[in-house]
Amino acid sequence: MLTARDLWKNYNNTDVVRGVSLRVDGSEILGILGPNGAGKTTTVGMLYGGVIPSRGEIHFGSLAIPAQARQARGAIGIVTQDDNLDPDFSTFDNLATFAHHFGMNTRESRQRAEELIEQVGLENHRKHRPDELSGGLKRRLVLARALINRPRLVFLDEPTTGLDPDSRQAFWKLVMDLKASGCGVILTTHYMDEAQRLSDRLLLMQQGEIVDEGTPAELIVRTVGDEVVECAGVPEGLLQELAARTGAWLRPFGGNWLMSLVPVHREEMVATLRSAAPSMLTIRSANLEDVFLRLTGDKLE
Amino acid sequence: MTSGTNEIQMNGPEIAPEPKVPSSLYGIYSVWRRHALIYKRTWLTNFIPPITEPIFYLLAFGFGLAPMVGEFSVGGQQLTYLKFIGPAMIAVGVCFQGFFEAAYGSFIRLKFQRTWHGLLTGPLGFREIFFGDFAWATTRGMIAGVITGIVVLLLGQITFTGLLFTIPFILLGSMVFAGIGILVAGLVKTIDQINVPVFLFLIPMFTFSGTFFPRENLPRAMSVLASFLPLAELVDLIRLPIIYDPTWPLDLMGLLAWTIITTALAYRVIFRQVFR
Repeated sequence: MLTARDLWKNYNNTDVVRGVSLRVDGSEILGILGPNGAGKTTTVGMLYGGVIPSRGEIHFGSLAIPAQARQARGAIGIVTQDDNLDPDFSTFDNLATFAHHFGMNTRESRQRAEELIEQVGLENHRKHRPDELSGGLKRRLVLARALINRPRLVFLDEPTTGLDPDSRQAFWKLVMDLKASGCGVILTTHYMDEAQRLSDRLLLMQQGEIVDEGTPAELIVRTVGDEVVECAGVPEGLLQELAARTGAWLRPFGGNWLMSLVPVHREEMVATLRSAAPSMLTIRSANLEDVFLRLTGDKLE
Repeated sequence: MTSGTNEIQMNGPEIAPEPKVPSSLYGIYSVWRRHALIYKRTWLTNFIPPITEPIFYLLAFGFGLAPMVGEFSVGGQQLTYLKFIGPAMIAVGVCFQGFFEAAYGSFIRLKFQRTWHGLLTGPLGFREIFFGDFAWATTRGMIAGVITGIVVLLLGQITFTGLLFTIPFILLGSMVFAGIGILVAGLVKTIDQINVPVFLFLIPMFTFSGTFFPRENLPRAMSVLASFLPLAELVDLIRLPIIYDPTWPLDLMGLLAWTIITTALAYRVIFRQVFR
């Protein structure tokens, strides 16, 4: 449905996006995970025609972007990172006015606004202006606005940044509903739980480049393994020696150490670490944060 | 086309139909309509106070100064002072309203409310949003010009046909100041910087453009310089029903040039800001 080939973007002689290629098909959620400043928002901006690439090709079906972006946006929905709602309009009017841009007449616009208010659960806030809505409700309104044209593909750029846990869960539910309805989604996030929970496929981005891709589970197992151990108060020499002997991966992490647990040496590794009287020792399942740390040496946030 | 080609197309992968979006002209109208709806909602604060400005000038100077000035002769015409400044105040209304809506309104929509970026997520391109803003600022200038014109008419200082005759000029003038205003919105970095063109361009222009006194009263160099100001050109054109000036085609061309140049520059400057 949407393909991008070798996208580059240069700002003030710095390449902020470097050779990104991707493809997304209907009814899948493609996650783009990376720390702040990795180039996720710029990439997404180029995909819908909001940023003009320095180089590269983008197609949405048979339409070329940015040349035919306006037409492509007839079937695309976009939730931008910032809330650019109309502060002078109520929830209802924000939606109805935007619906008019798609060529709906007054009656159709009002009807569509009403449907969307129900779909995203803003029934009690029809008459409220954006500054009277909480952060979570505002995001839902931006989502509703993106869905006016019943899009085949929706962009969600850091949709839950700054939301409380309940609002995030509620928003995630809406995203899952979207996918279930056959809509493709491109989601950028710097939250690994969000990426892991929602994405069918993930691109890991760092410094403008895609460093790896796959399903969340694939990426974790391939890059880090099933389990990791976090420990503190163990001499570095001992850790280095243990890692070298077992082929484990070791990295300093905050003030602690993070080491992958190699299944065949698991018992031996745990025993060795325990006998070194660590001040802290935690064994847990590996996650995307570990993948990121392994691949880039960087933390996500 | 052979039947073979048809078969290939039918058996090929299912291609979703291309999305249909409204025409560019509809897009411009739809953006304009959005601004108009907000204006309708806030008309008490946005409509009444600014419209009164040229009317107050008209009444204050028209009645206040007239007894001191008496009748005077300009361009071979005997005129009262009120009759002289009537058309100028129509032009001033157009100028201030068109400029302020474009400069402040577009700046706020571009940099504070990020309305432009919001609209760009819909089936609207830069062209539709830009000309929607331009058309709206033009409309604001028109509203101010026509209402001031009606006041001048009610004061008996212009005839109804005279007023009708000036409407195309009011439209052109509104486009000029919309273009200048949007260019300012694109050039300034902070809202306070709009003060610079207001005090160094708009206010001097307001006083030197043959608004309150004939430009011929000025020293020759100043008078020539002032005649290139867009407000001076607009004042001359709107005053045509009262003082005929055979050089009016020059004024008309001057205004067209101001519109095209400022609008084209504004388009480029803001395009680069929005898309970087």
